[in-house]
Amino acid sequence: MIKAEPKTILHFMWSYFDVLRELFDVQHKDGLIRKETLATILQRNKRDIKPQLIEYKLLRKVSDDYELRDVYYKLIEFVLFEFRPLLPEEIEKFGVSISDLFRNIKDGIHGDKDILIDRIRGLSSQIKEFADSVEKNSIRLLNECRELKSNVNQLDYREKIQRASFWIQYYILPLNSILDVNHSESITNKMLGISEFANQKRLAFTDEGIRQSFEKLYFQLIQTNDDLLKQSKVLTNELLPLIDRIRTESLILTGWITFLQSHNKIQPPKLLKSKKGNPYSKRVYLNTKEYFEQFKADEEAIIVDDDQEYETWVFNKTKYKRELIKSLPIDNFFDWCHEQLKDETSEITNEKVFALTGLLFDDEIEVNANPEMKFVSIKTKTSKLSVPILNAKKNGIS
Amino acid sequence: MEYPEMHRQIVDELLDGKFVLSRERHFDEIKENEGFYIDFFKISFNHELEINNEFARLISDETDENLSRDISIFFAILCYELDRQGKNFLDALQYSEFSMEEINYLFDNSSWIDLLQSNKQLRDSDTRKRFIFSSMGKRNIIDKVSDERFYFTPAYKVFIDFANELAGHTLNKSPGDSDNGN
Repeated sequence: MIKAEPKTILHFMWSYFDVLRELFDVQHKDGLIRKETLATILQRNKRDIKPQLIEYKLLRKVSDDYELRDVYYKLIEFVLFEFRPLLPEEIEKFGVSISDLFRNIKDGIHGDKDILIDRIRGLSSQIKEFADSVEKNSIRLLNECRELKSNVNQLDYREKIQRASFWIQYYILPLNSILDVNHSESITNKMLGISEFANQKRLAFTDEGIRQSFEKLYFQLIQTNDDLLKQSKVLTNELLPLIDRIRTESLILTGWITFLQSHNKIQPPKLLKSKKGNPYSKRVYLNTKEYFEQFKADEEAIIVDDDQEYETWVFNKTKYKRELIKSLPIDNFFDWCHEQLKDETSEITNEKVFALTGLLFDDEIEVNANPEMKFVSIKTKTSKLSVPILNAKKNGIS
Repeated sequence: MEYPEMHRQIVDELLDGKFVLSRERHFDEIKENEGFYIDFFKISFNHELEINNEFARLISDETDENLSRDISIFFAILCYELDRQGKNFLDALQYSEFSMEEINYLFDNSSWIDLLQSNKQLRDSDTRKRFIFSSMGKRNIIDKVSDERFYFTPAYKVFIDFANELAGHTLNKSPGDSDNGN
């Protein structure tokens, strides 16, 4: 018996929660609280509360050491959301008890009314515990995976791969098969069967009390099945891809780190060398030879002087500029060039046309292209030049 | 003899070390004439044609080892730094667009800075930009979005597969002998 009032115990827990949390952490890690550890924690917090911890039955003596009683341990675990991941075997046991109770309910359906109601209550309680365990496990596994992803413990990648594989192999996949509704032996599947049975009985049973018990069970099962479906989705849509990604990425990073650590010794992936010749490539000699050989003329070239006199033409810029300014505005500049040269020289050459083109860059002249970008041809002695139609006018005067 | 359509472009690009990507029209030609091109490149040049659903490329012993090494270093550091930021680097490589600013931030703050500074292609922002847009761009490993932005084409998978295989060898060879520079 506890002599203290319930409110006193809860007030005590509220006042000394920091100490209780430390004790919880120690037990969470080591499985129990050594008497020396208890003394150290109490001393560090300057709290002499050992008698109350015993009196209020928060602590239980285990030989010389202590442990938090299960009910308080679970309470602190719940409020801190720090659950120990349950092994699939620990969850599986609910499957066994749920099956046993269900079988007994079916077998004793026409038996004693009170035991039937107690069995329905027992089944309901097991289902609740099962659903709680699954939820706590999913939360815990999700936290573990997120911690692994952010690598709070600074694990190296090899260890990350091992940890990820460990969670997948021992916790996530087995939990997934417990929840897999398509698997005939899964607990979820068994619960669907129970739900169907409870649905029939809540409508058809003659005794009203039993009918109500089945009705309660039925609605609890509907809710639980919904919750389990959500948990199953968390596992398959979030947890498995997340941890699988951690494993794959850690594997790739292990490879990259191996490479970076000795990148000069490891052969990188093959990448085809481009065929374009480098000066130091082994083909460059033959390629260059081939290139120059194409210009090698077989016949000897002889230059023969002829006595013909050629016209010497010197571009008189001042004169042509004066002529041009006098003729402004001009609709077609190259036409003007052609006319000038035709009148004054014996032949029109490319050189003469290009020399006159230089006038376009004079500051006193403004040049505009024909908006339709039309081209005209000018015939020179050797070529036919295709030139744009350019309008020229005096700069600054419209 | 009749050659498949776009034959010249196919031969030119593949011999130039380019990845021909599945979204390109001449990829379909290669795929449709896979047998022909496998034989063609093997008999004419002794090159292997690798073709999957995402790209085609030539593999040969005439490999550009320096370029491949630099690209591998680039991907190694990029993956490592993205992971350090808590990002899923495989998703980032496959779906994200990168800016030079982001790349420079990751590389300038990398714990592999000594290695980067000794690498002529990756040591500063200018060389990195040239390396990404020119060397990797020419081979179709990246796609340029603008002067400052790009994304990776599926060609990056050649390098990720390389890292994966390397990890396989490492893990099988020497358990308990790793150091990741974390």
